[in-house]
Amino acid sequence: MTAAVRVEALCKHYQRRKRGEGFWGGLKSYFAFETESVTAVDRLSFTIERGESVGFIGENGAGKSTTLKMLTGILVPSSGQAQTLGLDPWRERKKLALNIGVVFGQKPQLLWDIPAGESFKLLKAMYRIPDDVYRFTFDETVARLDVERLLKTPVRLLSLGERMRCDLAASLLHAPAVAFLDEPTIGMDVLVKERVRELLIEMRRRFGTTVVLTTHDLKDISTTCERLLVLDQGRLLYDGDLQGFQRKFARERSVLVDVVSEPDAEKRATLERSLGELEATSVWETPRRLRVTCARAGSAPRVTSLLLSQLEVEDLSLAGTEIETLVAELYRGEGRAP
Amino acid sequence: MSTPRALAGAPTFASNWLGFWVLAEKTLRAKFIYRLSLLISLIANALGYVVFFLVWSEVYRGGGGGALSSERLFPYLVTAFVVNFALSLNVEVRFGQRLRQGLITSDLLRPLGFMPFQLAQAVGDAAGNLVLVLPVLGLAMLEFGGALLPGDLIAFGASLLSVGLGLLVNFGISYLVVQATFVTSSFYGVYFTRVALHQVFSGVSAPLVLFPPALRAGAEWMPFRHVVETPVRIWLGHAPLREVPVLLAEQAAWALGTLALSVALFRVALSRHQVQGG
Repeated sequence: MTAAVRVEALCKHYQRRKRGEGFWGGLKSYFAFETESVTAVDRLSFTIERGESVGFIGENGAGKSTTLKMLTGILVPSSGQAQTLGLDPWRERKKLALNIGVVFGQKPQLLWDIPAGESFKLLKAMYRIPDDVYRFTFDETVARLDVERLLKTPVRLLSLGERMRCDLAASLLHAPAVAFLDEPTIGMDVLVKERVRELLIEMRRRFGTTVVLTTHDLKDISTTCERLLVLDQGRLLYDGDLQGFQRKFARERSVLVDVVSEPDAEKRATLERSLGELEATSVWETPRRLRVTCARAGSAPRVTSLLLSQLEVEDLSLAGTEIETLVAELYRGEGRAP
Repeated sequence: MSTPRALAGAPTFASNWLGFWVLAEKTLRAKFIYRLSLLISLIANALGYVVFFLVWSEVYRGGGGGALSSERLFPYLVTAFVVNFALSLNVEVRFGQRLRQGLITSDLLRPLGFMPFQLAQAVGDAAGNLVLVLPVLGLAMLEFGGALLPGDLIAFGASLLSVGLGLLVNFGISYLVVQATFVTSSFYGVYFTRVALHQVFSGVSAPLVLFPPALRAGAEWMPFRHVVETPVRIWLGHAPLREVPVLLAEQAAWALGTLALSVALFRVALSRHQVQGG
């Protein structure tokens, strides 16, 4: 069976027109064309097997949406190869369209003026969805996303979160082999986001749907994806599982300790020396709260047992390995390779 | 149902007829949603047409234009109004706005294909317009009676075919013109240019037979007359029977030509189109 997605040395360059500032600058731009070249995607290569669930993350402008647009056939690559379900997305877009579901977070897909339920009927006809599949996907998406009461409301009257729910339901009605979801949970509240995640898991279980997800809410990824692709300035920075990502980018771990009573100066000095031997540094954030930073990989367990043996610990937590924290560090440039 | 759908063959226009008609029906439905706006535009159109009709009545008070008798002119003007109203499509505005806002991404991802997707909506536009203009036709029948009806069944059938082809020609022109939006970024300039040419050369403002010879010759080389004048002439029996197949063939050629050219241009334009960022 062909892979769901296969990408090789994929590139996309844009020419962006530069316009002058203010009225005179704007007027000048009428006669002097100045453009700059922007590389949105730079030699990307990866493969996604059928049934996988992959999260795409990266800063704004990292190339996530551009990649998805090339994989769905909306954009033509500048160079390189892309295949979705064994098809050339650009040349065989119509054939591919029958087998993929797409959500672009800020771009409504339902007909604007008519109720969402009418659009669903249109999609059933357009995608030639068999009755049994439609019954299942309709019931499943409508129930899980709680959109039944929205189906008779014109799309233009829905809130962003409500519209996104309807859009997502619409994109999954035909039980696509691959679902490309570009920020599908934008504008949704915590509870609905949870339901979306459950729905994606159910679609994978039921239909073996391959999910390709871009999001800025990393909980979407940590709960629904087992693989992560991190893009940075159009390049692939990381491709692997979530644990691998944590291992690779978690350079420092912090241990946060709340103690029952404030230790005396001598006890503090002894503790500081012992931590120094483990290449850990400590700061008393409050008289009863200590933050210890472990610089050496794998030293956190020993630091933790040291703290437990020398202090009267009320509470203890480890920080620094949550995906959110690592990604934030990565975006700040702290985790990038030199 | 335990596995995703197998890759189906590429959807064709014929295999997707149901999606096409359902989309046309939804577009028709959407047309009647903004009731107040619809009412205002109907009143404005009706007033405009009354003024237009009064002007022509004044022109023909003293005997008229010579090339066309008043007995032929006024049924022509009414029928031209009806056909023009019915075939007024929303292609440029819809396409231009969606292109500008990056929303054509959704339309591109429909298995119906992009051009049939637009055409289905144009058919919905035309069906809605037809419903709206039927009362005008009814009122005009009271005034002109049988002069507004085709002479026989052949003329009736041929004119229905001609109206259908007129829709395709109008869609083809609009779809071709709107491709310029990829370059201009805004559809207004090309849209107003197309509307101006249509108003003059389609025969809706005045029958082309009343035009100065040079202008008439120019109109012969343009597709606009095949949107309004040709169906109207066939309907009213103003076109000799032997000329009808030629007119229908010309309409079909313009429809195919404009559509083929616009599809080719769309492909080139899309390959260079930039839908940047999220």
